[in-house]
Amino acid sequence: MSKSKTLWVVVGILIVVVAVVYVVAGRKAAEKNVIKIGWVGPLTGDAAAYGEPMQKVTELAVSEINAMGGIDGKQIQVVYEDGKCDGLDGANAVQKLVNVDSVQAILGGFCSSETLAGVPIATAAKVLMLSAGASSPSLTNISPYFFRDYPSDAAQGKVLADAAWNMKHWKEVAFIQEQTDYAKGVYDAFATEFQSLGGKVINQPFSSNTNDFRSILTTLRSQHPNALFVDVQAPLEATRILTQVQQLGWKPSLLIPDSVAGDPPTIRENQAILEGALTAEFGTDPTNSKFEHLVSSYQAKYGAVPSYESYAQTFYDAVYLLKDGINAVGNNGTALAQWSRTIKDWQGSSGSVTILPTGDRASGHRLEVIHGGKAVPAAQ
Amino acid sequence: MSILPQLIANSLIAAGTYALIALGFNLIYAATKFFNLAHGAMATAGGYAAFFLLQSFVGINVVLAAALGVLFAGLLGWALDRAVYRELRKRKASNTVLLVASLGVFTVIQAVIAMIFTSQFQTLSGGAADSVYQIGGAAVTETQVIMIAAAVAIAAGLGLLLKKTLLGKEVRAVSDDEEVAKIVGINTERVIGWVFFIGSAIAGLGGILVGFDTGLQPTMGMSLLLRGVIASIVGGVGTVYGAAAGALLLGFVENFGIWKISGEWKDAIAFSLLIVFLVFRPQGIFKR
Amino acid sequence: MDYFIHLAILFAIYGILGLSLNLVVGYTGLLSVAEAAFYGVGAYVTALLLVNAGWNFFAAMGVAVIASAAVALVIGLVLSRFGGDYYALASLGFGVIIYSIFLNWQAVTNGPLGIPAIPRPDFFGYVIGDEASYLVMSLVFLLLVYVVSRFIVRSSFGRAIRAIREDEAAIQVFGYRAINYKLLIFVIGAGIAAIAGALYASYITYIDPSTFSVNESIFVLAIVILGGLASLRGSLFGAAFLVLLPELLRFVGFPDTIAAQMRQAVYGVLLVVLMLYRPEGLTGEYRL
Repeated sequence: MSKSKTLWVVVGILIVVVAVVYVVAGRKAAEKNVIKIGWVGPLTGDAAAYGEPMQKVTELAVSEINAMGGIDGKQIQVVYEDGKCDGLDGANAVQKLVNVDSVQAILGGFCSSETLAGVPIATAAKVLMLSAGASSPSLTNISPYFFRDYPSDAAQGKVLADAAWNMKHWKEVAFIQEQTDYAKGVYDAFATEFQSLGGKVINQPFSSNTNDFRSILTTLRSQHPNALFVDVQAPLEATRILTQVQQLGWKPSLLIPDSVAGDPPTIRENQAILEGALTAEFGTDPTNSKFEHLVSSYQAKYGAVPSYESYAQTFYDAVYLLKDGINAVGNNGTALAQWSRTIKDWQGSSGSVTILPTGDRASGHRLEVIHGGKAVPAAQ
Repeated sequence: MSILPQLIANSLIAAGTYALIALGFNLIYAATKFFNLAHGAMATAGGYAAFFLLQSFVGINVVLAAALGVLFAGLLGWALDRAVYRELRKRKASNTVLLVASLGVFTVIQAVIAMIFTSQFQTLSGGAADSVYQIGGAAVTETQVIMIAAAVAIAAGLGLLLKKTLLGKEVRAVSDDEEVAKIVGINTERVIGWVFFIGSAIAGLGGILVGFDTGLQPTMGMSLLLRGVIASIVGGVGTVYGAAAGALLLGFVENFGIWKISGEWKDAIAFSLLIVFLVFRPQGIFKR
Repeated sequence: MDYFIHLAILFAIYGILGLSLNLVVGYTGLLSVAEAAFYGVGAYVTALLLVNAGWNFFAAMGVAVIASAAVALVIGLVLSRFGGDYYALASLGFGVIIYSIFLNWQAVTNGPLGIPAIPRPDFFGYVIGDEASYLVMSLVFLLLVYVVSRFIVRSSFGRAIRAIREDEAAIQVFGYRAINYKLLIFVIGAGIAAIAGALYASYITYIDPSTFSVNESIFVLAIVILGGLASLRGSLFGAAFLVLLPELLRFVGFPDTIAAQMRQAVYGVLLVVLMLYRPEGLTGEYRL
């Protein structure tokens, strides 16, 4: 055979092999007595610190429901896809779930970037997306097929801006903001409110793989702001930045977003510099019986308390919300989407859930202060 | 202007890092006339080797771990030359082929490191606080001082090596004309082997120091390499002074550039410097 | 089956990229590492026109091609002066600068947040929404690009660029201004790459800068080198092989965390092995 013929044969064989693998794999998965639900979240990368425990929380809820007979006698099967906390992988994940797994509902994304990219794809395919963690204000009213049981950062930014102006009487706040949907959302919400009150905001955005913040910090410091907002996506980055702030001999008043405040090890590790720092969290209510159940069941199953309780509760609730929805209107994306807007005063581990016509949850973040290595509610 | 000393300090620190990469890169280019893009991976490899030692043998002397990391990087560079580049040179491959091959090598090393150590960010210092010195209004950490000192010492040392020692003379002979050096009786392959060892070792040291200063990530090699390339070309490929001068210029342009233009344009600023030189002064600051 | 169509669409897109880069690297002998920049310009211009201005996909693609060619013209004016390795390094520099612009010119490109909700094409009222019809459309474009490339390669223009590859100095003696030809082929290559960018944007319905990094340029270079320099069929083989490769690796069952790195490692090894044993690629007529 001539050279080029050999090549065509080789390529042809490769194509056939791959095709066979997928047809066979696809056939195996076609079971009738199962309700398949999609799940998108960061299973690798820096944000996996969040994604992995949240996957566990989801698994916990699913196994509880399945043990009680599932939904209408059918067991729930979750297909987990790695969104890697970025838009491209989030889009690919949703596309796969919609096209290959043919789900009618997707729990996800966790990161705002994954969600913003995935929602249009789900919407075009008439698939419901329910996020338990994406907080970017850009998601408000984005699609009738999207809703979230985690509040928008518009609340977080506003609360912090009000505290900065009215409580601390700061006039100028400097931001070191990571370029992600979440961090930008927090910045936009804060800046809008703070500027409308008469304050001034300066910002030095940085791309996520930056490790050397010294010149950025030096530049911000030279403008003598009253405070520094360390606006990052993941807790590890906050530690890196705070270390370099200390090395420069700078001791500014600090603000941190809930992505950092929700990570107790980071708060403890940096407690000296973070003393007195302002933050806002969608807090937890330890007296909520469902929340207590969540914590104790998680501990029993995995041998540790769930990290990031603010998200654990919403992830847990999301599964149960979906269960109730499917029970009410069936496993159909359009029906579920319409049902989602009727959710009023639904009782979950995160408290009372009401979904607004925009798809947002009606409730918000609470102001907190870092004190003694812990985030505690602030005295207003 | 109170931040000027800090900016100058930041520029010197950056220059030190880039110099460590550029010195090795330049040396290898001088001797072999090809752009070894795998050089950046030597820095990463050195850094992670030290990390591995520090993690596996708790309580090991930090200086010893660093020294072993440097040695590892040097050996890796030497081995690559032996296994890949020498083969290609034997087949009279063009420099472009070597460049593409080195690109392949770089990709492999980076991927292997990421597989073994995960893509997560790691620090060599393990969170231990670095002493900070206040020098002339600027805050500089101990690691950063070491970085600048090392760059200066190695630049000087390399210069001496090339001028005074027998090996240095052989390296210069090979750099001038490999064919003639062979005719004169110099074992050019052995000399090139040494060049790779020394150059890669220096890069490894750079990687380790960066690991202490900001931290390690498998992808750090590419950005260090690119900075090293810019510094080399801008300063004048093939000369020790060139690498140092280029690194200095790059460090200052980057950091003062950030001050005027926002920090996110750092990469663009660095490469614009390269383009400017390529257009107006391709031979760099110091001609060969 | 659907996943298979997905792979086929990717094959079409990378096939177009491979063909366009081959014209520059394989036929003209210019080692360009800037392919992703033009891929990106094509994607972004298309996406912005579709999302912000509601344009028709095919009209947007047309504008994207022109925009990409214009950017290539500007860059090419500087780049075409160089040759060999300096061309490669300078093109790398430009690639980084353009990537930086995608990432940081947030007012236009939305930076790392990307552009979501890109609609699928509308062909005289028929929306090419499902995967199968998108595949058909992509293959049509691939065929078009192949035909155009073949035409270029067989024309006297094609002979001229081959001559530049073989001996740039000689061709100048005969009165050909090599620099004009280098510029023209670079611009043409960029325009074709933009077609791939437009197809990509509307297919994935979301773009962000991460797709258009230097790594992507290296990937397309691997396709071209693997398939064979100056072999159009080769670029198609290369694209098919490298698109299928990750799927085969997945079949082998590497855990997700390692899979991406494994892919990178394989590309790297591939480049090295190719350079060592078959620098002209599978069916190429030229070695670097």
